Amino acid sequence: MKKKLMIIGAVIAASPLIMSFCGFYVAKADGTLKNKTSQVILVRDGNRNVITMYNDFKGNFKDFAMVVPVPVVLKEKDIKVVDQTIFNTLNEYSKPRLVEYYDQNPCSYGVDKELQSRAPGLSMDEVVVTGYGARKKEERVKIEAKYIVGEYDILILSAKESSGLKDWLTENGYKIPAGADEVLEPYIKSNLKFFVVKVNEKEMGKLNNNFLRPLQISFTSPKFMLPIRLGMANADGDQDMIVYAFTKKGRIEATNYRTVSLPTGNDIPLFVKNNFGNFYANLFNNQWNKEGKGIAMLEYAWDVSPKNFVKCDPCVATAPSQQDLVQAGVWWLGRDWNDYSDVNDGEDETYSDNVYFTRLHVRYNRNSFPQDLTFQVTPNIENYQARYVIHHPATGDFNCDAGKKYLKELKERRKNEMENLAYLTGKSYSDWDVVTNDAEEKFVPAEAAYQTVAATTNKNKGRDKSLLFATISVAGLITLAGFRPKKKSKE
Amino acid sequence: MLKTSFALDPRYFQVIFQAVFLSYGIIYLHSGADWPHYIISIGGCLLFQYAAESIRLQKPLPVFGNSAGNWSLSVLISAMSLCLLLKTNHWYVSLLATFITVAGKYIFRFDKKHIFNPSAFGIVVTIFLTQDAWLSPGQWGSNTVIFFLVITLGTIVVTRVQKLDISLAFLFTYVGLLYWRQIMVLGWPMDFFLHSVSTGSLLLFTFFMISDPKTSPNHPAARIIWAILIAAVAFYLSAFKWKYNTLIWVLVAAAPLVPLLNKFFAAKYFEWKPPLRKMQRINLLRP
Repeated sequence: MKKKLMIIGAVIAASPLIMSFCGFYVAKADGTLKNKTSQVILVRDGNRNVITMYNDFKGNFKDFAMVVPVPVVLKEKDIKVVDQTIFNTLNEYSKPRLVEYYDQNPCSYGVDKELQSRAPGLSMDEVVVTGYGARKKEERVKIEAKYIVGEYDILILSAKESSGLKDWLTENGYKIPAGADEVLEPYIKSNLKFFVVKVNEKEMGKLNNNFLRPLQISFTSPKFMLPIRLGMANADGDQDMIVYAFTKKGRIEATNYRTVSLPTGNDIPLFVKNNFGNFYANLFNNQWNKEGKGIAMLEYAWDVSPKNFVKCDPCVATAPSQQDLVQAGVWWLGRDWNDYSDVNDGEDETYSDNVYFTRLHVRYNRNSFPQDLTFQVTPNIENYQARYVIHHPATGDFNCDAGKKYLKELKERRKNEMENLAYLTGKSYSDWDVVTNDAEEKFVPAEAAYQTVAATTNKNKGRDKSLLFATISVAGLITLAGFRPKKKSKE
Repeated sequence: MLKTSFALDPRYFQVIFQAVFLSYGIIYLHSGADWPHYIISIGGCLLFQYAAESIRLQKPLPVFGNSAGNWSLSVLISAMSLCLLLKTNHWYVSLLATFITVAGKYIFRFDKKHIFNPSAFGIVVTIFLTQDAWLSPGQWGSNTVIFFLVITLGTIVVTRVQKLDISLAFLFTYVGLLYWRQIMVLGWPMDFFLHSVSTGSLLLFTFFMISDPKTSPNHPAARIIWAILIAAVAFYLSAFKWKYNTLIWVLVAAAPLVPLLNKFFAAKYFEWKPPLRKMQRINLLRP
């Protein structure tokens, strides 16, 4: 049977996406704080790190402030602003995808329609109200550096004790969220510095932008981590974070939490097509709960080196170009390999134009994530994409032997699709707003319609029998172990 | 003549427990079964061990039957460790790891014992040489269920082979140092610390790797000193140098100390045999 392939862009969105980086926003006393989804680009090779933080702050820019713990005092040349479109490019390229196939009528050829549509994009929503007041000196807090970069005023603080830092921030008009104490102290004792950002109104005025550009920082440190604990201080409930990571060697993975790849390649019912964003949100949530929450979910992993021509299969959007990658902080691309002045510690680097991309989706909360996320670069170069498949039925008359066989197969396939849907999302037929294409469905006999198939579907397919399995094997082993070996001696 | 026909070799249990962990990972944690890696690890280890042992004894060994356990069980444990811990992109890296694991046992010997823990040596050398293999410290998560499971099962294995001294000395030192650093010095909340110590990786190391009686010192005092040393160095490297998988690297690095410790603390060296009863021992001594 010939099949036609089409792709629909998918939307990653589990809840309305509200953005922040893993640092915390500090707000005025009466400010309401919301801090839900952040996007961050990590580039890592050796001990060199480049971190780019996306900012979707909407509101009065003078209310914006951000605090991010960093391992070293950053120099002015290590901080820059980048074009925010890079985040969109990376997101579009790597998000979970829906693949569409058209069955062909085995009794006749040539009748097929081409449809292409995009799942409606969920918008990234409203954010954070924050505040920044007058600056004042505090002895227990040392201002290590002070810069103006792009539209931002940047301070790098170090502190001897958390109460000093807290007082300083409070006296300077920052409202410290409850719960931040718990982490400030360990951060200070771990010798972290605090990267404090606010908007410089004068510079902002010159730009005449109505958005804030992403900030990119680079530094050398063996620590490959994201300080998510500070961001939890002002978060109610779960927060989502998308990590786009680039390395020379291969995938990154979390070292203190499990990294789990989502089930992929499954056939799912056709009616999910118009609801793909919703489908994926449910899938993510269901799998996240099943895996025990304290995990990093792999959504995409691919070799995006300029020399690799297959950057996705199928592609939902244009793969990031070399300029995009450089913009994202991949410093080893297109650099002058005789000039090492851009590498601040003079660390020797070996030539490479390999770029490996990993996209992780972390949904975190205080209970499931007691520690900051730490990562490692692995040589794992196995490509991965979260990809789901829908099939359009053939149309026309099925009055031939092959046609009857096709209808039988169609029914079986749809049954399988319904079982997959229940397994992936934890939701059954009745939970979906089923919209079918009548032009297509009118040729499908009632017995193969989703509604009929759903009624007979076993909802327990794929349900974890592992608990049972594990219990039985453990019980068996303990019995075995309890068995006392006898010893017999013979002359 | 003494015959212990019904006594089960404790190594059987160890292999079975490792198989349980592997299935737990595949079925429950969905860690992605890498079947070619498992098959090559087990097949390669058995093959190389068979060849090496046959050459050493200068006769072909039985492949099946009771006596096959003599040459195959230990290497099977090493093979299972490779399956559980090591990850690779290519089948030939898996094969290389099995070769290094077995070869390490025959090349680095002192006083009739191999020096390095075979699988730890195989893993460390493979990662170092190929840069194409890795360990996933986060693969077991920090689930308390697995925590208790591992402890209990591991305890059984260890008590059947040898005393718990080395595992406990190591665990107390390492966990104590983590507590001191995370709670007392840095002031992290308790769940931060619990998250660190309830990882499956730490417990697998404690009860399945450092406890290997063949590659640890013979004398109890020496064993405890050795365990504390490994714990302290591994802790230092992970807490202050920000390194991962320090336990396994330090275990391999500390292995050459074992002959030295054995020299200072003389004791009978360990043999994989079911324990004999006193009476039987006396019988044995009679003409």
